[in-house]
Amino acid sequence: MKLFNQLKAELNNNPEGIYAPYYYRYIGIKKNLTGSMSTIRSNGIYSLFANSTPFIYKNDLITGNTKSLYISENSMMLQHYANMCTSMSGRDFPHNADHFSPDYQRLLRGGISGLKQEIQESLNRHFDDYKKIDFLKAMDRTLDGFACMISNYGKKALSLKDDPEYSNERLDFIIKNTNELLAGPPVSFAAALQLIWFSHTAFMMEGRGAMALGRLDQYLYPFYKKDIENNIITDEQVLELLENTFIKIPSGDVVNICIGGMDMNENCRINELSYLILKAVGNCNVPGPNLSARIAPNTPDQFLDECLKTIGTGLGYPALMNDTVNIAALKKYGYADEDVYNYSMVGCIENFITGMQPPWSDGRFDAPRFFDYVFNNGVSEFNKSSGVNTGNLDNIKTMDDFMRSFEVQLENGAKEYYFGFMNYNDMLNPERFTEPFLSCFCQDCIGRGLDINNGGSKYPSVHGVALMGVGTVTDSLAAIEKVVFIDKAATLSQIKDALNSNFEGYEDLREKLLAAPKYGNNDDFADKYAVWFLDYLDSIFSQFKTRDGGGFYSAMAANISNIHAGNVINATPDGRLRGEPLSDAASPTYGRDTKGCTVTLTSVAKPDYTKAACGSVVNQKFMPSVFDDAKRTKLLALIKTYFKKGGQEIQINATSPDILRDAMEHPENYQNLVVRVSGFSAYYVTLARSVQLDILARTQQELG
Amino acid sequence: MLLNISDIQHFSLGDGDGIRTTVFFKGCNLYCPWCHNPETRSSDAQVLCYNNNIVKECGKLMTVNDVVAEILVDKDFYEESGGGVTFSGGEVLLQADAALTLAMRLKEENINIVIDTAGNVLYSSFAKLNDYVDEYLFDYKTPYEDKYSEIIGGNIHLIENNISNLIKDGKKVRIRIPLIPGFNTDEQTINDFCVKLAKIHCKYIDLLPFHRLGSGKYDALNMTYEYKDTEPLSLEEIDKIKNIFEKYFIVKVEK
Repeated sequence: MKLFNQLKAELNNNPEGIYAPYYYRYIGIKKNLTGSMSTIRSNGIYSLFANSTPFIYKNDLITGNTKSLYISENSMMLQHYANMCTSMSGRDFPHNADHFSPDYQRLLRGGISGLKQEIQESLNRHFDDYKKIDFLKAMDRTLDGFACMISNYGKKALSLKDDPEYSNERLDFIIKNTNELLAGPPVSFAAALQLIWFSHTAFMMEGRGAMALGRLDQYLYPFYKKDIENNIITDEQVLELLENTFIKIPSGDVVNICIGGMDMNENCRINELSYLILKAVGNCNVPGPNLSARIAPNTPDQFLDECLKTIGTGLGYPALMNDTVNIAALKKYGYADEDVYNYSMVGCIENFITGMQPPWSDGRFDAPRFFDYVFNNGVSEFNKSSGVNTGNLDNIKTMDDFMRSFEVQLENGAKEYYFGFMNYNDMLNPERFTEPFLSCFCQDCIGRGLDINNGGSKYPSVHGVALMGVGTVTDSLAAIEKVVFIDKAATLSQIKDALNSNFEGYEDLREKLLAAPKYGNNDDFADKYAVWFLDYLDSIFSQFKTRDGGGFYSAMAANISNIHAGNVINATPDGRLRGEPLSDAASPTYGRDTKGCTVTLTSVAKPDYTKAACGSVVNQKFMPSVFDDAKRTKLLALIKTYFKKGGQEIQINATSPDILRDAMEHPENYQNLVVRVSGFSAYYVTLARSVQLDILARTQQELG
Repeated sequence: MLLNISDIQHFSLGDGDGIRTTVFFKGCNLYCPWCHNPETRSSDAQVLCYNNNIVKECGKLMTVNDVVAEILVDKDFYEESGGGVTFSGGEVLLQADAALTLAMRLKEENINIVIDTAGNVLYSSFAKLNDYVDEYLFDYKTPYEDKYSEIIGGNIHLIENNISNLIKDGKKVRIRIPLIPGFNTDEQTINDFCVKLAKIHCKYIDLLPFHRLGSGKYDALNMTYEYKDTEPLSLEEIDKIKNIFEKYFIVKVEK
């Protein structure tokens, strides 16, 4: 059994007591309850890092986890500590708390002492600004806590020596790395990786989720190369260290790791480490590491092929990102070129200027909700909400008239979205909700002596608006154009009545709406509305600015919010019933793109994704046999062609047994899942049940 | 000119090089009992009613223009992958004139064309198409005259003659042998396959192991499937057969 597998079995071992980060935090906080907020927070963070007792796994090579935050103490006291910490409150995911890709490159260059040195220089420069001095000292204190934490890990490893359950060799390795990090910047690959993982652990201890590791293959490469050239380490050992790290990423987390891509001279940046990271993530086969591969026109086929092999194991990673589109999208926001080309992703897919802007913020815009307001004088009974009264349906004589009414609703909705976002955001006083530790990992917070959310970061905060339901909206508009304005088979009033009765008694009309052209079949009659969807909504949202002047990015993603949003949205003119999910992310509505993936992807590539600076998600499922050696080259060509056509992202899944079972239960959602055998033409959902079970069993076997 | 088509399948991966679009022609003059595309046998339009309430209409007359338009969607994918179009079926060559019109139009667009045929037609049908076809996937199901005529309704002399003529005319031909348990997979038959095919100078062999993926279609068409309970060959059995063929030919197993 490989080491990471033994480690995996250990991950559920918890220390005695309960998980109580607030306990450690409050020990620090209560030292000075009347100080400045930065002092209070930094005291809390210092204590969190310095006073907790490290927990080292028996199979750790790279160590660090949040098990150090367990405590067995008087429960009344714990409750009090928890209450005091809660009363401070803080930021949350939609408001710049996490989803951040730290500036690890600088950390590795100077180590902790390097950051402290920069803080000292900044203190000297800002000697007459008491606020900055206060904040810089707070940053410095958190770094001291961080150094203590590293030292504690070293001491803990030392204390475990000769424990029969532990291996002295591994403990010595940990001690050597911690000593190296306490002495100055890391020299070896192992210590560099350990420093990154300690930082990530520290962020997790602070309670942050979805912290990205960024371009791991780029900033670790100099360490790797030097150690390989000097015969200090082998590829097998590097792989083992990476596995030992990735396996510890908790399954509920979304830790984005970015590999590949090009630099500002458009040179391909793929290196040996890119391949090793890919392999390590594939070997670990756990959902926590969210691997993203930046694919550029000059990315070697071999790399893309290795990505597909990993995807084919059933993991679904890496997500494949079109570098050309993402770079063009980000360039519109005025970032320096070198910073754009160094972008990485946070969370699922969000494009981020690595280590130079505040943590991510985002929200969801449920575009299909706005049909109801057009049809019902600005009121949605089912959704219990209102839009604009765009007037009587009789006044809508043409498709253009309908589009203008719908646009009025969307524009109003976008402004309400903005209003709500800003209202909440303005309650988050940046002077109060300071982030002294996180700010150490963002340019130019130290130099400016300012918090990451208070003007410290090189670039302002951005906000991502996930535009949901492109398929639902596109199909609805195409259906209205076809049925009402071309075939004249129904009036808008009849559609209104049908929607308000959830098509009960209007089955014939629903059939007609369902028969209209649908997004994803390369029919411009429908596809033109998908192009319009992104163009129009981005033209509205891109006018907005965040509180510090940053952009509103559009996204075509939904995660699973399209299901929740769909629950409370009335029936839509595409024939979707009340409460059914909205279409997923940037994909056509499931089951309505019936011609095959080349046609689907041709449609999906039509919108101008350089207007989706946040990113987009297109999910495609293939039977595991498509990942066979002989067929994978064709999958590779499929992706390259799709990217040449302007597609932004594709996330491929080898159909897991779960998917196949779901397809047997809900065939209507899997109409395009094709069984690809020579000279044979059939869809999975039309196979005899016994054959479906056969394939299911085989899939289970192949995926282990 | 109208084409009688049962399905157009994009991103086909087992019907020739690269990413291909397979056009399934409707209507066949053989009746192989193991057939996995029973809906292509009759040239009449049919409705397939699957037992999970999915209903699919099969068979429509399409204009050459419509078929060309649907194929051209994938042109960029062919160029990237070295793919193209495969005419399959059913028996393409029963619609040789319509297929020719389609092929001529596609050649104007410089698209690679493969025809998958069972070849039980006069050579004149091949001759019409030869100039426009880059490769033939030629089914050859048994080396025995009686089995050909009695079980599947074909004339082995006609079929062998066609293969041999294509090779003489310099066409690229891959022989496709469906490996059907109990019909053509015993050692004697395999050896006889080799003898016959070597005699007419065949070089490339594709082996297509039997599968039961088509059984749902028989139910949906309310037809009886004789091979419903036949077990597919094991990987070892397939390997053994492959090894024999490999003594004489360049062999590929299609999955």
